[in-house]
Order: sequence, then structure tokens, then C-alpha cells
Amino acid sequence: MQRNGTNKDKPVSTTAAPRVVSVIDIGSTAIRVVIAEIHADSEWITLDRASRPLSLGRDVFLAGFLSSESMREAVAILKSFRELLQGWQIPPDSVRVIATAAIREAKNRDTFLDRVQIRTGFKIDVVEGIEENHLTYIAVQHAINDLRPQFARSSAMILEVGGGTTEIMLLQRGRMVAAHSLRIGTLRVEQQLQAPASLTSNDRVEEYLRENIRVNREVLNSELRLDRIRYFVAVGGDARIAAQRVGKKEGEHFSVIDRSAFERFLWELQRRTLDECVRELNLTYTEAEGLLPALLSYKLFMEATSAQQLIVPDVSIREGVLINFAVGRRGPMRQEFAEQVINSTVGLGRKFHFDETHGMHVAQLAVSLFDQFAEDHGMDEHARLLLEVAAIIHDIGNFIRASGHHKHGQYIVENSEIFGLSRSDIRILANVVRYHRGGTPNSGHTDYVSLRREHRMLVLKLAGLLRVADALDRGHVQRIRGFTLETQDEDVLLRCDYSGDISIEQYALRQKGRLFEEVFGFGVLAV
Amino acid sequence: MSGPYINRELSWIEFNGRVLSEAENAQVPLLERLKFLSIVASNFDEFFMVRVATVKRQHTLNKASTCPTGMSPKDQLTAIRARVTELSERTYRVLLDDIFPALAENRLVRVRRDEWDSEQQSFVKRFFRERVFPVLTPVRAMEGDSLSAVGNLRLHAAFLLEPSPEARAESVGLAAASAISETTTPADAERTDGRTTSDEPLMAIVQVPPSLERVVYLPTTDADVVAFTFLEQVILSEAYQLFPGFSVTEQCLFRVTRDADFGVDEERDEDFVEAMEQVIETRDRSDVVRLNINRGSQRLRRILTDALLLEEDEVYESADPLELRNLMDVVSIDGFAELRDPPWKSMPSPWVEEDEAIWDSIRKRDILLHHPYESFDPVVRMVQEAADDPQTLAIKMTLYRTSGNSPIIKALERAAENGKQVSVLVELKARFDEERNIGWAQRLERAGVIVVYGIARLKVHAKAMLIIRRERHGVRRYVHLGTGNYNDKTAKLYTDLGLMSCDDTLCYEVGRFFNAITGYSVIPGLQKLAMAPVGMKRRIIELIRREASRAQGGGSGLIIAKMNSLADPEVIDVLYEASRAGVEIRLNVRGICMLVPGIAGVSETISVVSVVDRYLEHSRAFYFENGGSAEVYLASADWMPRNLEKRVELMFPVENPDIRRRLRRILDLFFQDDTKAHRLLSDGTWHRIDAGADGAAAVGEAVRAQEAAYRRIRDRLSGDEPQNRQEFKVRRKPPK
Repeated sequence: MQRNGTNKDKPVSTTAAPRVVSVIDIGSTAIRVVIAEIHADSEWITLDRASRPLSLGRDVFLAGFLSSESMREAVAILKSFRELLQGWQIPPDSVRVIATAAIREAKNRDTFLDRVQIRTGFKIDVVEGIEENHLTYIAVQHAINDLRPQFARSSAMILEVGGGTTEIMLLQRGRMVAAHSLRIGTLRVEQQLQAPASLTSNDRVEEYLRENIRVNREVLNSELRLDRIRYFVAVGGDARIAAQRVGKKEGEHFSVIDRSAFERFLWELQRRTLDECVRELNLTYTEAEGLLPALLSYKLFMEATSAQQLIVPDVSIREGVLINFAVGRRGPMRQEFAEQVINSTVGLGRKFHFDETHGMHVAQLAVSLFDQFAEDHGMDEHARLLLEVAAIIHDIGNFIRASGHHKHGQYIVENSEIFGLSRSDIRILANVVRYHRGGTPNSGHTDYVSLRREHRMLVLKLAGLLRVADALDRGHVQRIRGFTLETQDEDVLLRCDYSGDISIEQYALRQKGRLFEEVFGFGVLAV
Repeated sequence: MSGPYINRELSWIEFNGRVLSEAENAQVPLLERLKFLSIVASNFDEFFMVRVATVKRQHTLNKASTCPTGMSPKDQLTAIRARVTELSERTYRVLLDDIFPALAENRLVRVRRDEWDSEQQSFVKRFFRERVFPVLTPVRAMEGDSLSAVGNLRLHAAFLLEPSPEARAESVGLAAASAISETTTPADAERTDGRTTSDEPLMAIVQVPPSLERVVYLPTTDADVVAFTFLEQVILSEAYQLFPGFSVTEQCLFRVTRDADFGVDEERDEDFVEAMEQVIETRDRSDVVRLNINRGSQRLRRILTDALLLEEDEVYESADPLELRNLMDVVSIDGFAELRDPPWKSMPSPWVEEDEAIWDSIRKRDILLHHPYESFDPVVRMVQEAADDPQTLAIKMTLYRTSGNSPIIKALERAAENGKQVSVLVELKARFDEERNIGWAQRLERAGVIVVYGIARLKVHAKAMLIIRRERHGVRRYVHLGTGNYNDKTAKLYTDLGLMSCDDTLCYEVGRFFNAITGYSVIPGLQKLAMAPVGMKRRIIELIRREASRAQGGGSGLIIAKMNSLADPEVIDVLYEASRAGVEIRLNVRGICMLVPGIAGVSETISVVSVVDRYLEHSRAFYFENGGSAEVYLASADWMPRNLEKRVELMFPVENPDIRRRLRRILDLFFQDDTKAHRLLSDGTWHRIDAGADGAAAVGEAVRAQEAAYRRIRDRLSGDEPQNRQEFKVRRKPPK
């Protein structure tokens, strides 16, 4: 049983009765379930776990489709999990079923989702690659909470090698400077080498991975000097297998493997056949097949850093989802999450040499406008975060050329990853950046038109606010430090705290305030 | 370096010899001695069905020896026969020359057929006519017939017949009799017609009907005397009435033992129950491995031997009674308390309060139950209370050998009807219990219980129960883990240990164990528990090696292990290693022990004892000194390849220090026993440890482990009783 949270004794909740919840994770190599009890103080206890191997990833990464046998098997496993959950009398609204890369990339994913819902009643939530990162981060952060002071002083890499993707996060003094979901996975090795891992020589696997990872290492190095990284966090089942064999448990929720011990273990592994691995390490074939490519990937990334240990937390994306359950959308963890989103955004901006002072200032003004205008725009916390992110990097397109930079910015954002934000968040952001200046949307703008209706509305609202905030720093010299908002009959009046002459800003606002007026029905004036 | 070992089959026979020696033991009450004889016989039955059948098959198929001693199947069979014959002779000697005469002196008289007085004779005639004749089914069997219909272990009478001249016309009598026989095939009937006129001897067989009591009480002139004979003797005496038109020229009693060592088709998952039913049917038709026959007729002996395709050395001839398992019916006769062991009452556990919910008791502290000295009731209560308790969400348990009318099965049915999720793993492959198991397992299924019919290729032998409850402060789980089956009947006869606990980690791991055996999950990695066939052997070997490395590092090492059988060569080798490293190893092995103790440079520090007493020693407990921070484990598994590699078993740690100390005291007891214990010597022979003979050990009173265990619990001296802290023990002079 795993105890979580700060209070190590069984929590005695006084308010609400504890709630039993479950997370089912349909991954590339297995379907897993975790059952936990969440107490009123957001602490949680793992009650039960189960997992069944199923190589959905092999189907999808090789053929693009889930085979009908795999679908049948998945349904059978989910039915058996449903029975397990019934034993705990867990109501349907306390169950979250998530699916990652294999399902995400399956061409017949809709058929699968539909079939599962009909046969088992489970509604699957397909998690986007970068969202996986976020959930993993939440879990990791929880597991290695004790190491927080060390992380705050130096750089760290968090790496999760999965069947379909490799999630990577770079932290500088505890701040998230980059997050990526790379399409490198233990099952993709097979796809790329056109042969099952079991038939491929270990050398070829290494050569292939080395080539792939080298390219990525260079990109990462531009975001954070990898050779300065002291902490290397390896997340995932394969890392846990290694930790069980050659690591030592240091915290309640993590183990540590010395780099040399890890390399020796890997070296021994490379000299064994698959059958020997299964026998000697007591693994299933599915586990054994993925183990070598996964551990090689860790090694190849670690080689670029100066870390001397692997920190292996005993958590996964499932615990991330559980924590989401436990803390809901509030609390200090949520706030820290928002901070990391911002950190990651700044990291992205720096990569494209953005005007950081202007970006941050506009973000501050935009958020202030959002908060003071809250009664009239009716948007939630998440929209606020998106606005802040969009404001920080609205001018990122200048990296290419000032002229048409809103369009270049849209392209850059569309093709970037920001920690904690989903694909659909990114698409919204790209549009907000696109419409922070220039023309307003029309039916010819396919990127806009292809959004869902409520997302199109969100883009308009956010762009409307962003244009106002951007106008208030038109001179890029932060003359307006802040403002108080007053709503008059048909106008919103911004009483500014400024120094110097703000006529440029006032002029800009007249131009850029039109969208605001169209969207919210108020004119906007700065005095 | 590996070995030496003792051959497994021969070691097993020595165990049965130790059981026999209790029957020979004049200190044991007479009816108990009779019971031991019956146990010896039924033990041998199972031994032939399973073990001898296997060795015989290896021999016939010319397979290489699987015995780590390298002994060939042929040599094993020869040695087995020699030793079984000796023990069989000893059995009849003690029964006929000692026990029966002594019973007669105590007014319980077995009357041989030639001793029946006239009143008894007429009683027998009437009894035969009224009770026996209507249920007899004589079957004609010709020489050369396969006798394939003769059921496993069923006692039969065989007769050689001659047509009697005065009644040739009535020779249809037998044909009529065979016509009503269920076991006669049309082909048999045809041949019968063709041969009645030939000169070949006519043979008929009659099964002694299993529906009738085997012990027949005879009238006596002295009302204080109980006289009895056996049903088969009544049949032999009156058999002439079965064959009108024929006279019986020779007769005998016989029974066959068939090969029961064949598995079910493991590929059949969907209709596994059906496949299992077929196995049960097959068991009555498989190859014969032994013929037991009495001394009635050498001619019949030859005919039967040939007809069953047996060699002479597979025939075991003995005096009457041929069927010794029937002695159990004599044992259970009313009265004669002075000829039995004084009863040992099962005591309630001091940790289980009668008037509070079992959960409250378990929450206070882990509870160790030592059966049968301590009652099995708390285990039954756990299931019953869970069934009726609105807070219980789910019950999961394994059932290996359980009777259908057990209160546990009833409670599980009720729980399912009350809407709890009840998951039960029923091991259908529990040998010789399959038929019974299928019946009640299907009944459970109808009640809504999730029934898992075992696991392909593995027998689930672990004994575990998990109850999930929703309590005020959240979900809490309770486990019971044990060394014995969930069978309230055997819990009165077998010594077993069980642990009740609500330790979070233990419960969590038991939950994951159930997820694996009910098909929800792959086999999990476990920390506290060790599970066969995946990690238990490795864990045991690690624990032994850890002792060895402590001893090598200058410390002392001590292992005390109690089990039913020690037969895993790998584990034995590691024990030898530990012995060489200087670890003191005390083994208490009830049955098979393939390890050879006391060999210089190999096993000098190992001692092996075996206790055979009124209860069957069944618990498995392992103690490792671990440099002073002792660890004690209980397990469902013996140290045999069968348990560690082909079964799903559990080994669990006992973490409460008081309970650990108590277990150490229990384990130590067996090495102090100088009444019912035998010691294995380095030449492979076993010798009873005699209180008088063993100089130093004889100081003070003789120790009988089971009795001492009983007394400790009865007198609340197990060292694990709750301390009632209602007052302080104050150090002062008494008030004036």
C-alpha cells in the first residue's frame, strides 16, 4: 500500500467521507488500473493495482490501425477491470479512463472508443502527448517532493520512455524551460527497423536510437545546456525494473541508481538473449522486449548530462491523473502547475529571442484586464492561463520577420510544445497570436474555421483582450504600469498608472480596441 | 557440488512406516492404533495411485530417471516393493496378533467367519437375504477379459464356479444376473452365451456394495461384548446363493489400484469443468498398478493377475481383512472411550472477543491461530460476518479442499445473495476431491459468486482470504492467510497455523495476489509476500544464503524450518552450503525428506526430526535468525519442486514480535519431543527418539510436542496472551 501526502498516518478526515476513485490507462504495451482512496485533505492511498500486457502500440506504430484481435482483447481486459472496480463499488463518475499514444495515433481510434463505450460503458479520454507530460510531471513532482530544494538549485531532466513516445522535460533551477513529446518509443524501434526487437541485433537497436536521440539532443541543448544538468529523473516501467534490480530506495516514492551500476546492468542486458532476460529477470516477454531499447534511450540521453545517478520515481501518468482527482482544479499544486506553464512559455520565447520585457509586461496587463473584467467576459481560470501564455509570446514571430509577424507567430506556436498544454490549447493559442493584430477572422481562415465553435469564441475573446493589453505597451517601454478598470454605460475606462506620455498607447488602443468592442460590446478608453 | 539425496519414494515409505510405528506403539490407546493402521493403508493407496504409477510409467516408457539420486525406475520399483511388503507384514502382525486380541479383551471382538456361532450364522443369513442380496450385482468375467470395469480401490469378491449336476437347467441364473449388471457390455453378453457350454472355468465377480456399512455387528450372548465382522465376509459366506445352478469351487477377495496420475487437458479453458469430469471418469478405467488379494485362492490369483496384465511383483497378497481402510468404521464405533485418546478441546483464541465484531478484534492486533488447539471458528466467523455485514464490499478467497456443506460455502453463497462481490478460486484439480468440488462450485456460481476454476497448468494451493470493508475513515481490508485449507473438518485433525491481519501493505499485496489469480492482472512484484511459482523459491534460497553469509562473517546462523516434505534438490543443496558455512539447521519434516543430515563436511550441522502423533502435522513455518533480528514466515508450501514450481503458493512474514516469539516456541517444541518424534540418521534410516535412551535428554519429564502445545494453549501459557492492563504491578510492602 502506498501512502501519499505529507501526513504519514492514516488520515482521519473530519469533513467528507473518503472517496474511492480509479484511473485506467490504456497504454502502448499494457492496460493498467490503479484504485485509490482520496481523503478530504487531498491525501490519497493506493488501494489496488492491476495490469495486463497488450501491445496496442505494435499494431498502431507498425500498421497504423488497431487490429480487431487487439480491440477484442482490450475490451475483454476492460471488462475484467470493470468487474474489479465493482468489487470496490466505485461509481462511474469516479473512474477516469485515459489512452495515450497508441490510441491517439490509431487511424481507427473512433471505432475503438465507440466500441469500448458500448461494450464496457467506459468513456475513454485520449490524452495528448504534451498533456501526458503534464500528468507525468504532477506525479513526479509528488514522488520526489523531498528533492525539491536540490532541484531549485540546479538543472534537471525528466525523461519518460514509453512504447510510443518519449516525454521529456527540462528544468532550470526548478523552472520548466522546455517540454517535448518525442515520437521515439520502444515499439517504434521495431517499426523503424522493420523487425521485431527480438529479431534485431542489440547493436542495431543502439545505433538506431543513438542516431535519433542525437538530433533531439541538439535541439534540447539550445533550450538548456544539457551538460549542466545534474539531476536525471527516469520515469516509466522499464526504469522501475532497473531500479528494482540495481537501484536502492531512497525516498518513500523513489529509488536511485548509480550511473555506473545502471550502465553495467545495461551492458549485461545487451549480452543476453530475450529468453535469458525473461528467465533471469523474471519478466514477461512484453516487458523484456521493451526493456533494452528503453534503458538504452535513458542512457543515451543521460550521456549528454553530467548526472551521476538516475532518480526513478515509482509513479506514472496514472498517479498524475489521480492527483488531478485529488486536488481538483485548485490548490497550491495547481498554482505551481500554472507557473511551470509560464516558465515553459518563457523558455519557448527565449529560444526565439523574443522581447521578454515587452511580452511579460503585456501578459501582466492582459491578466489584470482579464481579472478586472471578469464579470463581463465569463471565462475560467484555464482561459486566463491561455491568455497569459499568448500574451508572453504574441510577438514571437518577429524571430522570422517583423512584417507579418502575427502569421509567423501562429506558425511557430502551432508547431511548438508548451508544458501542460494540450494540442487543442496550442491551436487556440496559435490563433490568438495570429489575431493579436491585423485582420479579424473570416471564412477563408481555415485554421480558425476548423476550431470548435466554443473555441472560436474563446479565440475572439482572448484576442480582444490581448489587443488591448498589447496597445497599452505599444511603445515597448512599459510606460503604463497598470490600470484600474471602470465600466461605464457603453465603455470600459482604464485609469492608468503611467509615467511620461502615453499618447502613442492611447492612439494604438483606438485602433486595436475595435475587436474588444465587437466581442464584448464595450468601447475601451485609456486615461 | 550437489547431493547427496535420499530417494523420494523410499523416504515417503519411511514416513508411512513412522505412522505404522504409532499403530505398533503400546502406549497408544487401542482404537487410535487401529486408526493409524487404517491411515497407513489409505496412504499406501494414494502412494500407489500417484507415485508408483508414475515410476512405473517411467519404467515402461524407458524414460531416464528423474530421481536426483540417479536411481533407475526399475530399481526404485524393486526397492519399493521390498519395503512395502515388509511394512505390510508388520501391519498384519500388529493387527492380528496384537490389536484384535487386545480389543477382544476389551470386549470389542472381531469374529472370524469360521468362529461364528449358530446364532451369528443365522443372523448372517438373514442379514444377507434382507440387506445384502438385493444390492449385489454379480458380473461374469471370463479368463482373459480385461476386467476393465473393476473400479479403482473398490473391494470385490471373485468366484470360480462349476455347474452343479442337479441344477444344470437353471444355468440361466447367472446370465440373468449379468443381464441386469450395468457394467456388462453387449459384447460381454454375447461371449457369455457362447461360452457357457465350454469347459473353461467360469469366473464371476461381485463388488462389495459401497452403499452398505462395511462393519456388520453380530449378536452376542454377553450384552457387554460388541462383536463384529466385515461385510465381505458375509458375502463370501453366502455367495453360493448368488449362483443358482452352480457351485462355488474357489473364492477370494481383491481390489485393484489404478493409475490416477494423469492431468486434465489444460488447453480446454472454456469447458474446463467438463474436461475435469472426464478425468474423474477415466480414473476408474486407467491402468492397474497394484492388485491386493487375500489368501483365498491361488488359482483365482493367477487368473486375475493375467487378466489385469500384471506382473507377479505387482500383486500383494495378505490375510483378511484385505481392506484396512474399513477399520476406520470400527474406530468410530460408539462408546469405548477408554480405548481412545482423551479429548483435547479446541480453545477459543484469547485475542478474539466473542461479543465484538471480528474486525474489532483484528484491528487491535494481528491474531495467530494454532489449529486444532485453537478453534477454527474465528476463520468461519470472518466469512460469516462479512456475508451479513452491510459495510463489506467484497470477499475474495481460495478454496482447495472444502466440503460442500461447510459453513464457509454457505456464508459465501449468502454474501453473494446479499450483493457483495464474492470471488472464489476453486482448485478443481485438488486430487480425489474433484467431483465434490465441481458440485458446490457450480452452486456458488448460481448464487452469483465469481468462480474461477483454477489456473492452467498450475494448482492454486495458497490459502488466502481477503475482505474489503468500507469503514468510517475509509476502506479497510482484512486478510486471513494460512497453512491449511478452508475446511472446518480437517481443521480439527491437522495442525495448521493461520494469521489474521489488517496490515495495509499485507492486505494490498494479498489484493494484488488475487488480481493475478482471478485474471485481472499480470503477476505482481511483491515485497512482503512471496509467491510460488514466481518468487518463493528464490526468496527461500536468499533467506538461507543470508544465514550462511552471516555465519561466514563470524556470526552465528540458525534456521528452524517445519514442513511436510523437503524434496527440492536445489533448496537442499543450499541448505548443505549453509551447513558448511556453519549455520545450525533444525528441520522438522513430517513426511518425505530427501536431505541427508549429519554427513561430515556436508550436513554436519543439520538435524532432522519428524513427529507423528494424533494430529497430522501440516503447518509450514520457517525461522531465520538473521543475526538477532529474526524473521519468521508461514507458508502454504513445502520445499518441494511440486510446490515451488508447479503450484501457486504464498509465503508470508509474521511481523508482530510477540507472535514471532510464540512461533519460535512452537518450533522449538518439536526438537524437545522424545515421545512421538523420530530422528533421521545419516544412513537414511529413521529412529524413534526414546526418552529413556537418550541420556542427557532424559532429564526431567518426557516431552510430547502436541500435548505440550495443547496444554500451553489450554492453560494460557503460549506467551502470546493479551495482557490485561487494568492495574499496575506496584512494588511496595503490603498494607498493614
